[in-house]
Amino acid sequence: MSTPILSLKNISKRFGGLLAVNGVNIDIMPGETVGLIGPNGAGKTTLVSLISGTLTPTTGEIVFQGHNITALPAFERARLGIGRTFQIMKPFPGLTVLDNVAVGALYGTTTTNKALSQARDEAMEWLRRMDLHSKAQQRAEELGGPDRKRLELAKAMAMKPTLLLLDEVMAGLNLVEIDEVIEAIKVVRETGISILVIEHMMKVIQSLSDRLLVLHHGQQIMAGTPQDVLNDPRVIEAYLGKRRV
Amino acid sequence: MKRLLPLLLIIILGVLTALPWIAGPTLVQFAINALMLATLAQGWNIIGGFAGYASFGNSIFFGLGSYGVAIAMVQWNLPFGVGLVIGVVFSVLFALAMGVPVLRLRGHYFAIATLALSQVMSAIFSNLDIAGRNIGLVLPLLRSDTLFYELSLGLLVIATLTVFWLSRSRFGFGLIAIRENEDAAQSMGVNTTRYKVLAFTLAGIFSSLAGGIHAYWITFIDPNSAFDLSLNVKMIIMAVFGGPGSVLGPVIGAALLSAISELLSSTLSSVASLFFGVVIVIAVILMPKGLTDCWLRFPVTGWRYFIHNIRQHRL
Ligand SMILES: Nc1ncnc2c1ncn2[C@@H]1O[C@H](COP(=O)(O)OP(=O)(O)OP(=O)(O)O)[C@@H](O)[C@H]1O
Ligand SMILES: [Mg+2]
Repeated sequence: MSTPILSLKNISKRFGGLLAVNGVNIDIMPGETVGLIGPNGAGKTTLVSLISGTLTPTTGEIVFQGHNITALPAFERARLGIGRTFQIMKPFPGLTVLDNVAVGALYGTTTTNKALSQARDEAMEWLRRMDLHSKAQQRAEELGGPDRKRLELAKAMAMKPTLLLLDEVMAGLNLVEIDEVIEAIKVVRETGISILVIEHMMKVIQSLSDRLLVLHHGQQIMAGTPQDVLNDPRVIEAYLGKRRV
Repeated sequence: MKRLLPLLLIIILGVLTALPWIAGPTLVQFAINALMLATLAQGWNIIGGFAGYASFGNSIFFGLGSYGVAIAMVQWNLPFGVGLVIGVVFSVLFALAMGVPVLRLRGHYFAIATLALSQVMSAIFSNLDIAGRNIGLVLPLLRSDTLFYELSLGLLVIATLTVFWLSRSRFGFGLIAIRENEDAAQSMGVNTTRYKVLAFTLAGIFSSLAGGIHAYWITFIDPNSAFDLSLNVKMIIMAVFGGPGSVLGPVIGAALLSAISELLSSTLSSVASLFFGVVIVIAVILMPKGLTDCWLRFPVTGWRYFIHNIRQHRL
């Protein structure tokens, strides 16, 4: 058995009196796509922020590709190969779509001085793969819903990450748009990187995940194949009982 | 147009270099002042225009540069050049020491913190014996406007070349990413703290050199004039009017606004400042990204450019 690319060891995060993440242990294998589900407020976004370094855990240890990254700031984790999207999207609104993605190519896992023109070439390649190249010269703030999601994906992928964290990329899209973005994520998955994907839509999570984890009140209540998890009574009670999609 | 621009700039630069020999003393003195303001606006552009941190602390660097030269020449009998270096060293130390805590603050909090710092510095220098307390220092007199003019021009050229380099470098791109969305920049691998402190330091170096040259030219400094907040307001207005985050915008803004305010103040003084204020308010509403952005986009979008901007303000 190969070693995991990411290991969360007994990770907790406390916000004042609230234990948003409570003793979570997760291993993600190279090339694996792991789905993370759970009701609103379960601690999913908090968990992503703990992995990406936007937040630091109250207790526990995070190991990424053999490095203990628990205390590293977010930018250093990005350099090691952790890319993320934000549930509340964070584009660079005044920059062109191309330059938004070029930031990822210029920084991300690149630590040497790369020429702007080369970064833009790489960015253009990702825009093509995400089917966004016709809008390369528009400002990011002018993009509509699904294009914004594709932009977030392209930005993260231009970083050349080995682990990608996707926090509800589908939120706010209609069914047709969701299918388009699923295709985009499949393009990303084919590059062989590991993905942690958070999604409320069961259809999305089932079609993308190799393995499913369920978070509830900050605790991991179950893990397994999508089939097993979605038929488990505890999951149905905690999650699907309230919002079956 | 793109190919003509460098040629045009070289011609303008040539004329500017020759100015002391073709223009009268009043115009040269006006130009020294305008060049200094342009350098300050360009310095502010690095931290305010590129990184998006509206600094009210740049006049601190101006003051440190002024005092560096004044103290070195008056108290220690050192040459002017050494004074400039001392001012820069003070400014860099200040930027590194204060930048780390202050640049953690965002938006208005950063602006207010730098504002407060500038008052503190003024108070500190009012109580330093070596700085002549609140009376200030009188520097040795050097009657050579040509020298001060060429020094100011040289400094502005270096500042502008630096910003030009910034506009096409990885570092500058990172600063822009910070301005557009700092959290996203950080999670995409930009060392935001280091970048912001470096930008603040770079801005500080240019402000400090401008302050040093100005002090020797004016031959007198006191805490109020050295740490003058209205100077900081001026550099912001000029940079924002011209085009924050652009290479030539702050220079054009400084040149235009200096000229307008000079013309107005020599004709009708009290109406002048009112008119000036109104012009700036209208300019900021109609072209929030400055003259350069308007220049580039107006031919494409026409009058819709202004309508779009007014809508953006939700007036
Ligand atoms: N910065 C913060 N400070 C205080 N409390 C927070 C903070 N961030 C999140 N929380 C709280 O932690 C809990 C978990 O929030 P989180 O955003 O991780 O949930 P989630 O599973 O992503 O929910 P959703 O499905 O709505 O996105 C919530 O109760 C939330 O209010
Ligand atoms: Mg969330």
